[in-house]
Amino acid sequence: MLRGLAAALALGWLMGAASTALAGPLDTPGYTKAVTCSACHGANGNSRSESMPILAGINVAYFKKAIEDYAAGRRASPEMEPFAKQVKLLGVDEIATFFAAQKREPSPGKPDRAAVDRGRAASTVCATCHGPEGQGDAPKLVPAIAGQPAGYLRNQLLLFKTDKRSPGDPALIQLKSVLKAISDETLADLAAYYSSLK
Amino acid sequence: MAGLTRRQFLKASSGGVVVATAGLAGCASSKGELEAKRGRRVVVVGGGWGGSTAAKYVRLADPTIEVVLLEPNRRFVSCPFSNLVLSGVRDIKSLTFGYGGLRDRGVKVRHEMATAIEPDSRRVRVGEGYLTYDRLVVSPGVDFQLEQVDGLAAAGDKVLHAWKAGPQTTALADQIKAMADGGVFVLTVPPIAYRCPPGPYERICQVAWYLKTNKPKSRLIVLDANQNVVSKTALFRAAWQAYPNIDYRASSKVVKVDAGTREVTTEFGDRVKYDVINLIPPQRAGAIAVQADLVGADKRWCEVDHVTYESVKHKGVHVIGDSTTGLPVPKSGTIANAMGKISADAIVALLDGRPVPEVPPLNTCYSWVSDREVIAVVNAYKIESGKVVQVEQKLTPGQSTLYAQHAEGWAQSIWADVIS
Repeated sequence: MLRGLAAALALGWLMGAASTALAGPLDTPGYTKAVTCSACHGANGNSRSESMPILAGINVAYFKKAIEDYAAGRRASPEMEPFAKQVKLLGVDEIATFFAAQKREPSPGKPDRAAVDRGRAASTVCATCHGPEGQGDAPKLVPAIAGQPAGYLRNQLLLFKTDKRSPGDPALIQLKSVLKAISDETLADLAAYYSSLK
Repeated sequence: MAGLTRRQFLKASSGGVVVATAGLAGCASSKGELEAKRGRRVVVVGGGWGGSTAAKYVRLADPTIEVVLLEPNRRFVSCPFSNLVLSGVRDIKSLTFGYGGLRDRGVKVRHEMATAIEPDSRRVRVGEGYLTYDRLVVSPGVDFQLEQVDGLAAAGDKVLHAWKAGPQTTALADQIKAMADGGVFVLTVPPIAYRCPPGPYERICQVAWYLKTNKPKSRLIVLDANQNVVSKTALFRAAWQAYPNIDYRASSKVVKVDAGTREVTTEFGDRVKYDVINLIPPQRAGAIAVQADLVGADKRWCEVDHVTYESVKHKGVHVIGDSTTGLPVPKSGTIANAMGKISADAIVALLDGRPVPEVPPLNTCYSWVSDREVIAVVNAYKIESGKVVQVEQKLTPGQSTLYAQHAEGWAQSIWADVIS
């Protein structure tokens, strides 16, 4: 009787262990569909390079808008336009949910301290929408920019300033008019500052 | 002994029979199973872009699965960006990585050559021993069809391909550097299909840029076996406007090389003299794929299932990377990396007895057209009725330094994805 109980307990333990072992990444919704994105965006969306944005921890609605804009050509990118179409075919909701659930690891880049200090001094205008820590405003689709790679942030600021990113998007009119008054050098400083925020 | 075949002898010696014959000392004594197999095991043959990625991602998806990676080379050298070594823009050290990152993930990396595959007994031969597997990944890259060019095999190291990044890359860079101003550099492009379709044309840009900058009297003659530039045609043609030192000749398949007289001959009998040659030979799947009967009727490339990458010829054997055929994808590093991840997830699903996720690959190929500007081609795919189908191909509108930044970002990210 006791032996039978022990066997049953052992079996239960084994089954428990087995089901725990099965609950791996393949069970995480979106894992298998997002897996090819890591070629550019890093493991679980934590890009370690200077020019590719971090997707880990991204706001779901912001991710979906970006994919829609890329796919429609509103946000012009020869790289992301085809991939956005692929993401839509695979299931944008699942992929957005996957990246949103990943823990964001700030960019490992080490921006120049002086540039960071200059950027901080110039950042008051940005904080109005992006928040004092660059954390963004999810309900308004304002992205979290803290800890993104400096090179990526700088390129986006320059694309906004020259109206090459999403021309005609009414939500970006104010941003673009603010950026037009800021020198390219200061935009690089702002990128360094927001990248340095962890 | 005379009547004993090698197979019988191996069988006898692995069974514990010691044959102490002087004439056989140091000869075939089977080592049997090289690593005691306790649980489920995936063996990966080839630690390049596809194989390294597959080994890592099997471990990521299920760390209870043992993964053994067989790769003779101790260092991974990236073919993408290696054309920049020829122009002196980049050092080969910046493209060279160790396998420590994979070991840290629990991959058992063995710097040995797989010599044969036995699909029926699910074993890979390694020297005098073997490794048993539950699933095998074969990612052998390409090998060269030296016999297609008369004199090429005999020429040895006098005629370089530099089409597998490593010692030949730096050797060719040294030859270009040592060439006199006014010298003629000849580059030959093999007929498709070959590894990295835009690669030869990027190389033309890099060598032309170097010569224009450092040896303005030199010329670069391109003998292309194909009828035209096979990838990013308009973009490369536009980039070449900056290099009047390029003499591009289409439909000029090289069939003979003479390293003594420094001359190549095309199939139409045209003879071209060179001071430095870079002959990129015709290609096929890596030798082990041919030996293991994984190649199709063309005897060159391996046909696979588009979802699992399992060979259509041998069950339990998955083939990925440049050695595959039948998918509408280029033989590129990005594709091999994608296939590595997708096949890894498929293998883990198969081993667990669960449905295999249907995930298409994707492709990005950046090409450096000068020391600072880049062009790119991007391909998106879907899976339809079990087959990979292209959704869209898009090119950059031109060349730019912004795409160069993207290329650097891609390289940093994908190297980490493959090898760390």
